[in-house]
Amino acid sequence: MGTIRMDRRLFLKAAGVTAGAAATTQVACLSYFKKGRSAAAENREVPTTCELCPNKCSAIAVVEGGLVKKLNPNPENPKSRDMLCARGNAAIKQVYDPDRIKKPMIRMGARGEGKWKEVSWDEAFDFAAKKLAEVKAKHGPEASLWSSTEGFQEVFFKNLGLAFGSPNLVRHPTLCLASVNLAYSATFGTVPSFDLLNSRYVIMSGANRFESIITPDTMDLIGGVMERKAKLIYLDPRFTVTAAKADEWYPIKPGTDLAFILAMIHVIIKENRHSKDFVAAFTTGFDELAEHVKQYTPEWAEKETEIPAKDISRIAREFADAAPRSLYYAGRRSSWYQNDFQMRRAQAILNAIIGNWDQVGGMVPNAKLPKGEFLFMPWDEPKAPRVDEIEKHFPLAAKGDGVYLKLRENVLSGKPYPIKAWMVYKQDPMNAMPDQAKTLKMIEGMDFIGVIDVAMSDMAWYADVVFPESAYLERTDPVEVMAGIWPAVVYRQQVVKPIHDTKPNLEIVQGLAKRLGLSDYFDYTIEQWVEAEFKELPIPMAMEHMKKHGVWAASGKPVYGKTLTPDFRFVTKTGKIELFSQRLQEAGYDPLPAYTAPVQPPDDRFRLILGRVGYFTHANQTNNVWLNEFMKENDLWINPKPAERLGIRNGALVEVASSVGKVKLKARVTEEIRPDCVFMLHGFGKKSKLQSLVYNVGASDAVLLETAWDKVSGNAAFHETFVKVANA
Amino acid sequence: MRNTLRLLTLLAVLAAPLAAEGGSDTKGKFFFKKTCKACHAPGTPAKEITPLSKTQAQWKAYFAAGKHKKGAEKLDSVLKPEQVKDVQTFLVNHASDSPQPETCGG
Repeated sequence: MGTIRMDRRLFLKAAGVTAGAAATTQVACLSYFKKGRSAAAENREVPTTCELCPNKCSAIAVVEGGLVKKLNPNPENPKSRDMLCARGNAAIKQVYDPDRIKKPMIRMGARGEGKWKEVSWDEAFDFAAKKLAEVKAKHGPEASLWSSTEGFQEVFFKNLGLAFGSPNLVRHPTLCLASVNLAYSATFGTVPSFDLLNSRYVIMSGANRFESIITPDTMDLIGGVMERKAKLIYLDPRFTVTAAKADEWYPIKPGTDLAFILAMIHVIIKENRHSKDFVAAFTTGFDELAEHVKQYTPEWAEKETEIPAKDISRIAREFADAAPRSLYYAGRRSSWYQNDFQMRRAQAILNAIIGNWDQVGGMVPNAKLPKGEFLFMPWDEPKAPRVDEIEKHFPLAAKGDGVYLKLRENVLSGKPYPIKAWMVYKQDPMNAMPDQAKTLKMIEGMDFIGVIDVAMSDMAWYADVVFPESAYLERTDPVEVMAGIWPAVVYRQQVVKPIHDTKPNLEIVQGLAKRLGLSDYFDYTIEQWVEAEFKELPIPMAMEHMKKHGVWAASGKPVYGKTLTPDFRFVTKTGKIELFSQRLQEAGYDPLPAYTAPVQPPDDRFRLILGRVGYFTHANQTNNVWLNEFMKENDLWINPKPAERLGIRNGALVEVASSVGKVKLKARVTEEIRPDCVFMLHGFGKKSKLQSLVYNVGASDAVLLETAWDKVSGNAAFHETFVKVANA
Repeated sequence: MRNTLRLLTLLAVLAAPLAAEGGSDTKGKFFFKKTCKACHAPGTPAKEITPLSKTQAQWKAYFAAGKHKKGAEKLDSVLKPEQVKDVQTFLVNHASDSPQPETCGG
């Protein structure tokens, strides 16, 4: 029996929607098209949800005279509480940025030349649809690539790609946290939250949490540490703000964190300090683990990590003794090395054996809240296999996300089949992906590139057509459940009308769908979508509540221990927490984390390491005028010893060269980095002239980074590049 | 548009043998939410059912038996026969022992 083809009649019958009702509500969305600021002077406060980073804090916009004057935190959200960070406050300048894309634009000169023609929406839609249809007719729908990053309106973009018939959706996780997600999913069946507010002992590897992303759980950690409730052990080749605030900082030899963790597990098991009751009741594979880690002694780990064996042993004992209120924090950072999945697995296993699962101050499975769902007409599944061959090379990775770098390799080789059209939503692969030269080569091979974004990113700069999306303060988005220790349902509603000729992503998708003959799959308005989501919120007058408050958080109190029952089934193959993973073994990977020493740079080179600061977590934030005030240019951190050897003085212009590119940066000669590494900040050296504050200012790390990925998750490995540094 | 849909329907019929091996996850989710969840949701008399309610093997066995209401009626009296494969695909893909790693957003 095969799957049935869905058409509009069948869908409407199944969905119980009348054609008349659907047609009537189509008209309602036209209200978005009104241009300009409100004529009538008005002072009001509108609760909404921030979009400047993935944390999605609740905010209250203060509107005066039709303009957003201020953004305040919304204390009703227990996750974001009474906090709004620098980026959150600066969202106002996303709306009133003179560099914004103000109308749809079609490229006139060569790609990247910057010659554009402003066009009507109809012209932009017609142009893009014609190009997409041509690629589909010549190469099939699978020859189109649909790239996006997370966001409340991402669903519409993904659905357009699927309805078009392409299996090739590729999302941001393999440029972000895919290795963490996969490692914790493989161990616990889920990715938990970390109860930093109540933890008494925290270990962190390379996740510079006090500095790189300032969110409420950062503040919990800072509060915990500063009030001396928690001890913080921090491993990083660089002396960061987090290192400055930690109780102990170890400038670990890069790429050896796994050795440190395995030695900790060795000590805890050898000294019988693990939680025997928890291990017996909820885990599987402990005996195999105990045998496996016998080889990983602290003395062996000292040689690998350059952390003294006595300190590794002491930290292991303290960590186990503080359990269950101790945790090895996964942090918010990307993958650094090609063994990142196994390093994350080791973290997860270490946490598991001390029994911090679902405990106050430990790791807590995310609580969720109910929400309704708009049932849209489903399409036929794309027929072709994915171009990144994810099933063959990364059988355990998230299929819906794809694997970015392997995908680029395959697109450049033209195998297993050609990709000739590239649609991009809210993402800048030019800066997010390592090896910008390869990305440019990929761009050269495209017959068509369309970009949907609020700002003219470097990716948009190289597009054939750019669709300007309304900023988040100008639009209403789908409702989101923020699962976590303090779960909340958040609502992003329009604060002001679009000040330029922009549209929300849904309407851009609908404009394209109409011309591609796919309108039936997008026959709804944002109001209908949101109304369906509100329907299942278990609160009276849900819509009115959400419009008035912007958030619903149930009791707002965390619940611990719900999974600690004998009959609870973890979403794993065995139903237990899998210390030993049969599924990994069957897929050809190490079923327990095994250590291989990383390759170290030769004497004339340095390992390039990256990081973030709280006001520029993402590359698209460096051109925000308020945030740019914090830092106008990035530089290259280099230790005084090699700097002296190379004759490099503080502030001098240096050339940094890898095997794939070179850039020029000012040197910052500092003791705050190991002699074998250099560091630079992400997000500068833009190619787009409509990123005017950072156009050609500083340098982009993407130019230097070589292509390398974690073997299991496919996550880009960002610390595997060696560079030469010399005076420019 | 109507002609296009007719053509697509014809193509689907022709392609049916190729698709017979596996159902559609997307359509399965739709039919599951529309039909099954009408009764098997919180606050309804029937027991709440989600894909996590069974393992992959248990779902396969359930659909092989093809019975509903503890055997009181045939499954295809609740779901149309052509929808059963899609719902089975969705439920097996997202079962309690399925390898579905979590992701960010999306």
